[in-house]
Amino acid sequence: MFLHHLKYDILSMLRTKALVIWLIIFPIVLGIFFKVAFGSVYEKEIKFDAVPAAVVEEEEDPYFAAAAKALSEGDDPFMELTYTDEKEALSLLKNGKVKGIIYAGGELRLSVAGSGSGETMLKVFADSYNAQRKVIVDTAENDPARLPKVIEALSQEISPATKVSVTDGNTDLYNQFFFNLLAMVALYGSLLGINITLYNQADLSPISARKSCSPAHRFTGLLATLVSCILMETVCMTISVTFLRFVLDVDLGKHMGLVYLTSILGGILGVAIGFFIGACNSFSFNTKVGISMVFSMLACFLSGLMIGNIKPFIQQHCPIVNDINPAALISDSIYCLNICSDYRRFTIKIVTMAAMTAVLMILGLICTRRKKYASL
Amino acid sequence: MENTVVKIDSLVKRYGDLIALDHFSLEIKEGEIFGLLGPNGSGKTTTINCLLSLLAFDKGDIKIFGKEMTPTSYDIKKDIGVIMQNVAVFDELTVYENIDYFCGLYITDKAERKKCVDEAVRFVGLEDFLKFRPKKLSGGLLRRLNIACGIAHKPKLIILDEPTVAVDPQSRNKILEGIQELNARGATVIYTSHYMEEVEKICTRIAIMDKGKKIAEGTKDQLKRMIKNTETITVEVLGLTDEVISQIAGLPHIYDHSYDGSLLTVFCSGGKHNLIRVMEVLQKNDLSFGRVYTELPTLNDVFLEVTGKALRDKED
Ligand SMILES: Nc1ncnc2c1ncn2[C@@H]1O[C@H](COP(=O)(O)OP(=O)(O)O)[C@@H](O)[C@H]1O
Ligand SMILES: [Mg+2]
Repeated sequence: MFLHHLKYDILSMLRTKALVIWLIIFPIVLGIFFKVAFGSVYEKEIKFDAVPAAVVEEEEDPYFAAAAKALSEGDDPFMELTYTDEKEALSLLKNGKVKGIIYAGGELRLSVAGSGSGETMLKVFADSYNAQRKVIVDTAENDPARLPKVIEALSQEISPATKVSVTDGNTDLYNQFFFNLLAMVALYGSLLGINITLYNQADLSPISARKSCSPAHRFTGLLATLVSCILMETVCMTISVTFLRFVLDVDLGKHMGLVYLTSILGGILGVAIGFFIGACNSFSFNTKVGISMVFSMLACFLSGLMIGNIKPFIQQHCPIVNDINPAALISDSIYCLNICSDYRRFTIKIVTMAAMTAVLMILGLICTRRKKYASL
Repeated sequence: MENTVVKIDSLVKRYGDLIALDHFSLEIKEGEIFGLLGPNGSGKTTTINCLLSLLAFDKGDIKIFGKEMTPTSYDIKKDIGVIMQNVAVFDELTVYENIDYFCGLYITDKAERKKCVDEAVRFVGLEDFLKFRPKKLSGGLLRRLNIACGIAHKPKLIILDEPTVAVDPQSRNKILEGIQELNARGATVIYTSHYMEEVEKICTRIAIMDKGKKIAEGTKDQLKRMIKNTETITVEVLGLTDEVISQIAGLPHIYDHSYDGSLLTVFCSGGKHNLIRVMEVLQKNDLSFGRVYTELPTLNDVFLEVTGKALRDKED
């Protein structure tokens, strides 16, 4: 019986044009729009040239040498290093041939002449290296075989983190549009979610009244519609993420698996919101569609879908909004995952989302518990 | 044959201040086509929805197949076929898928279900529209789809709430014949309508309701015997004087009359040869007349007499 419900719920959802438009076509069009409108502007800024720097070795330091090598090689080198003595280095710095002088041997010291992005990047590198130096030295002494791995990890962590702190959040802003786009698709899941009550609560549609007259248990029908909404939303989220990452080539970071999972969880949260909106009041179906749309759009607006830097503004004046705004939660968790690799914050966001989903679903179920209606 | 299928006892349903059902009782026996006749707003749909345990009611008692009806009476529900007043089909599913969906709520076995669905399709004559979406169907075909969705699982009790509203005459006749055929195959039928002709045509027993109350019940002949009108005579005649009219009014068995300058209507109660006596008066006064006709009472007359108003809305 469950599968019978599920089959036809999915079929009728797939054939509902409005859902396909809002959940699949609209995000794709908007994604292309963002890409075309802002892509050229922001992508130039996130293209970094390697920062030229001079290295003065005050003392032999094999660990620094290894880390420096890892960061100045490859397709997208972080630094371009010149090994030299102090005098030569100072003259290079004076002529502007290098952005800074790194004094190697023990703690790194840095000498710079300006305050541009190159200088900042060197500074962040030096700080990170000093902060991690102990780990490197320990590894070299206790488990030398692992040393290349540790250095590799270090350089991989330093490079993007440094680049970000240098761009003053510009790349953030650019990526934020796409993260918020995913949040929008997730919240459009509420358009699916309101169908759960529409098709299972007898006072909302002739179809559900008709279903209530049959010997099929109501909860089975409710569960089937819920599951079909979640499946449909999962497909839509997967399409959106895949399209952004592999067609528009948006950088969603290296944890693609987690990005997919986070987006799908966000989508389920959207469905739960719709379920709750559908269940908690007795407005007409079209009003509920309106409420879902307005809610999704408002949440996305507050999270920066239309105006990029509204979120920092809210963070300053009313941070609680960002902590519970589902759109902000979704876009932030993807952000945490990619840009700053902040797993603690990521975990908090994910747990908040899961908790909200659970609460909304339970409230929805409580609201739909009634079996007879005062009025049809 | 005499098993009670539905028993409604003293049902009261309020919508706020409005009393939609006022101590309404009903007993329907196996094998009947039971007609619930009443004007729009008289409480037919409310009765059906209470019967199906969709609506909460204030007072009363409902039993179907001898058992208390509740929202979880799944063993009762499996033997009921419901055709709601508002068409209940999925716009996104085809005709065939819709019937299969609703039939599948009752019959899980796929092979058996397919047989039932095919049979229902043939029964309502939708073979040529299997791949159509409901939006593409005419009003009549849509109603037929609605019926197919309700009867495909071969229920013992079929409840139809105004299944012929907004239906062309051809579909209407097909639907009425279909209901009689289902009844002949053994189903008990509850049929609500505000069209008295339909109810007169197919129902074995009828309850007339108005403002949430049952005002009369019986076979159509029983109902007609309840009222004093037995015959209505209409004559096309010009220039009747008050003198002649009072002569006619004075004839035996005539209890009421009206004249609008061209059409004389005379209402009779019992007696024979009423028409002849009216003709005699006209001939005696040398009046020539056009068409003359006489009608036996209809359910409308029953309704008129019990409630003091016409059953039909003017436009239909
Ligand atoms: N949901 C409702 N809320 C308030 N009043 C209603 C509702 N449904 C029906 N009514 C009123 O109850 C009465 C009976 O309605 P209904 O059962 O639909 O009549 P019928 O089916 O005979 O046309 C009408 O006066 C109608 O206005
Ligand atoms: Mg009605």
